Amino acid sequence: MTIAAHCLSLSKIYGDGDTRVTALDAVDVEITAQQFTAIMGPSGSGKTTLMHCLAGLDSVSSGQVWIGDTDLSQLSDKDLTRLRRDSVGFVFQAFNLVPTLTALENITLPMDIAGRKPDQEWLDTVITTVGLGDRLKHRPSELSGGQQQRVACARALASRPTIVFADEPTGNLDSKSGAEVLGFLRKSVDEFGQTIVMVTHDPNAASYADRVIFLADGHVVDEMFNPTSASVLERMKAFDSKRA
Amino acid sequence: MFRAALRSLGQHKVRLLLTLLAVVVGVAFVAGTFIFTDSLKQSFDALFNAPQPDVTVSADSAFATGGQGGGPGSGAEQVPTVPASLLPSVASVNGVAAAYGVVTSTGALVLGKNGKPVGTAGPPARGISWLPDSSINSISLVAGRAPTGPHEVALLEATSTLADAGVGDSVAIETPAGHLTATVVGLVSRGIGGSDGGTLTVFDVPTAQKQMLGNTDTFTSIAVKADPGVDQDVLARRIAATLPAHTKVQTGAQRSADIANRLQTAFGFINTFLLAFALIALFVAIFLIFNTFSMLVAQRTRELALLRAVGASRGQVRQSVLAEAAILGVIAAAVGVLGGIVVSQGLRLLLGVFGANLPAAPLVIQPRTIIVSLILGVGITLISAYIPARRAARVPPIAAMRDDVSLPSKNLRIRGIIGIVLVLIAVLTAVSATRHLDDNLRATQLVGLSAICALTGVIALAPILGRWFIGLFGAPLRRHAIGNLAVENGRRNPRRTAATATALAIGLALMTAIGVLAASTKASVASVVDDTIGADYIILGANFQPFRPDVYQAVKNTPGTSTVTFTRQLPLSVGDSQGVLTGIESGKFQKVFSLTMDSGSADNLLPGDAIVDSDTANKLGLTLGQNVPVDYVNGPGFLILRGTYKPAGPITGWIADIQTLTDAGGRDLDSAVYIRSASGADPAAVRASLDQELAAFPAVKLQDQASLKDQINQQFDRVFGFIYALLALAVIVAFLGIINTLALSVFERRREVGLLRAVGTSRAQIRRMVVIESILIALFGALVGIALGLIYGILFRKVLESVGITQLAIPTGQLTWFIILAVVGGVVAALWPAFTASRLDVLKAIATD
Repeated sequence: MTIAAHCLSLSKIYGDGDTRVTALDAVDVEITAQQFTAIMGPSGSGKTTLMHCLAGLDSVSSGQVWIGDTDLSQLSDKDLTRLRRDSVGFVFQAFNLVPTLTALENITLPMDIAGRKPDQEWLDTVITTVGLGDRLKHRPSELSGGQQQRVACARALASRPTIVFADEPTGNLDSKSGAEVLGFLRKSVDEFGQTIVMVTHDPNAASYADRVIFLADGHVVDEMFNPTSASVLERMKAFDSKRA
Repeated sequence: MFRAALRSLGQHKVRLLLTLLAVVVGVAFVAGTFIFTDSLKQSFDALFNAPQPDVTVSADSAFATGGQGGGPGSGAEQVPTVPASLLPSVASVNGVAAAYGVVTSTGALVLGKNGKPVGTAGPPARGISWLPDSSINSISLVAGRAPTGPHEVALLEATSTLADAGVGDSVAIETPAGHLTATVVGLVSRGIGGSDGGTLTVFDVPTAQKQMLGNTDTFTSIAVKADPGVDQDVLARRIAATLPAHTKVQTGAQRSADIANRLQTAFGFINTFLLAFALIALFVAIFLIFNTFSMLVAQRTRELALLRAVGASRGQVRQSVLAEAAILGVIAAAVGVLGGIVVSQGLRLLLGVFGANLPAAPLVIQPRTIIVSLILGVGITLISAYIPARRAARVPPIAAMRDDVSLPSKNLRIRGIIGIVLVLIAVLTAVSATRHLDDNLRATQLVGLSAICALTGVIALAPILGRWFIGLFGAPLRRHAIGNLAVENGRRNPRRTAATATALAIGLALMTAIGVLAASTKASVASVVDDTIGADYIILGANFQPFRPDVYQAVKNTPGTSTVTFTRQLPLSVGDSQGVLTGIESGKFQKVFSLTMDSGSADNLLPGDAIVDSDTANKLGLTLGQNVPVDYVNGPGFLILRGTYKPAGPITGWIADIQTLTDAGGRDLDSAVYIRSASGADPAAVRASLDQELAAFPAVKLQDQASLKDQINQQFDRVFGFIYALLALAVIVAFLGIINTLALSVFERRREVGLLRAVGTSRAQIRRMVVIESILIALFGALVGIALGLIYGILFRKVLESVGITQLAIPTGQLTWFIILAVVGGVVAALWPAFTASRLDVLKAIATD
């Protein structure tokens, strides 16, 4: 099994003195390639921070992060930007799309910025899979929330990145649209061998993953393979009771 | 609600700063104009407090007293005089303590060490007599003593500095009577601590008479000091009773009132002229303020909705936005008044650069200045913020709960229809103007109306035009993602882009129209010189002052010349209309100057015969052969009209034989000498001989056709340069607007910028995106402005054809510069917003709150 990304004793500390908050405390995580990994945890557990650090969006206070063979701590802002552009895909909870661009333009945006021609065959495959064939000329404001997230997913996959990070991709969607998006992410792992890391607090969303990493108070506290909604919910309840 | 307004101002400090700046610039211009003219007025008021004669006796002439009017010599300068024999009879009037002959005239050129006249071209070079009684002399000695005898002079301090000749030094002076070397024995000041830039040479009375008037039988006036206790008016009446006709008796008070009147008119004009430009800058600022408030309101939609949700009424929301505007307006106006002090000094410098030297003046800030500035500053801000405030009040309370809200925005269709209607009216009035070219005033008014309709129409259409324009010009940029994003950003909010670009368009439209008129005027002058002046060389006096006939004598037999002839000029008036009578050597003149006759003939003009330009003839309703009664400086006369000519070229008005002028009492001073080379003569040799002959006459200048055109062009350049400098202010305000719009847009789109950064857009690419958008907005504004300016420049030129702007010239070089400057300005305006955008924190930008 190949490792798509990993971090070693990764710490992230915000603020100083009285306001000092340790968001991540010496975290070691390995993300297996061609797997769907979910990161779960209660609010404030550090799951979003972990994703941002893994994706090269945020700097780390100490420790190291690799995507593939690249050590992110060695990269300048320029190199990090290029890495995000060429090797990483993103799906955010909201504000995923540039409102002035059409759906298709949004999908090819990272490649357009790089000045690269998209692989047409692959692009068609992705578009067919997300089921947006007839809405490609539409602007985001003319798409439903679910459609917008599917466009975002297509964008994340279109450049064949090493790894795709999704931050609460279904957070703003109704359950039917959410299921469509999650189904698509699942499919991209199964059919295209894509590596996906998804941050979520929804046990149902996590049940689509191959593996769930549980975070609490900046530590990795547990992990679970082939989860179901019920098993994840059970595990989450344990956090709540421990807190109480 | 008021507290909320204050808070919100505090929160948007940086963003409001630019808005503030726009109002400040406009208000400072208004305040500066008032301060400048008030100060200038005050400095002239000081003049009236200087000692002056109780009663002055001068010739009763339609013409302003020489030396007092202060305008640059027209070449026809001739001072009205009174006979010296009047002095004893005035002195013997009961109540007169003393009476003095006074000479005040122009044409005393002080030569510097290099033999060239000192001082700038324009303000007069005066030569006056010393008035020995300091209680009635407005000029006072500050060093040395008063001049006595034919070889002593006193100089104005500033003149002495210019000529580098202090007390005890010798100085060379060119006067109407000849060349004079004199010793400087004293320095004088004019009592107002400065000068108008002209030079001043003081002689004793007989010397002044000889040098300035060419005789000892006349004075320009007689200054009277009254016995103690004698009323000025009473004395004036007594003196008048003893004097012959054609003399004028004025009391000191009357003279003051006279001068004050003239200054009032002049300052009124300057004030209005400058205020017009200030208002243009303020008008441009309206767009900037409007944009800023629209965007601030849009950004605060949720906050405003929250206010509504917790119970604030629509009125309260509107008032809170307006309160913000009012506070901003007050601050801006206050800073603007302070800025006005700087602007007033700037205007003084600017006028100095463009050739007008003004007396040093105290700083006068009248309450009126502050009140007008405050009203304008606050008023403009409130007007600009009113629509955004109304829009803010329409935010539904529910918007507070929604995630992405946009303000209700009206369809552009109504705006489009209004715009098209206005443009149609503009076209119709313009067409109608071209059909009324014979009625100058009406045509000008129609073109003016058309221009206003076109401008407002284009402002209304600008959002539609802008989308279209940016789409079209941006098309080639779309091939790349960054270019495509920039183009889309320029198009996404057409109203905002339009308001920003329109501000620039207004300034550039005016500059372009002025540019077309300037270029056309110059081209017309050049063509007139080509068409009318057959002479190869023309000798003109420095400052267009008349010069001694010796010059003609010296050059008339220069080898290589075929015709050498001179002209003289004399002011005259026909009824109420003043003009100039040019005396020519009949027969010779036609060889160096081509007149196109509309009627009659210019050949064989006998003494008493005259021709006049057709315009003047029409205006006065004159017919051929008519005996026209005229007034000369020294009395009435008659001219028989023998022909009319097409007005063109440097000579207009009445033309008669030299003898006619001599008979009318004209001085033996020439206004120009025209020289035509013999065919086949070597131009370099002719020029060299002429230069050699003229070396002894520093007060005249030898011009060929090219340098004559240059000299005339320089005068136009000065005027147009001044107007450009004033319009530049409006353009600067417009660029402030671009900075502001971009900065606010970047802030508004920070999420989007964050997203772009997250998916791999580099900082440099973000910067490029903002810069391209800025360039597109600036180009749109510039091209719309230049197009409007071109259309109306051409139309106004067409209308002004009948007053002599016969040629149309498009200053393509200049217009190219405007476009280049717009692009450069666009880049510069984008620097700060682009930098801010590229430094946005990606995580903060994409964080969901």
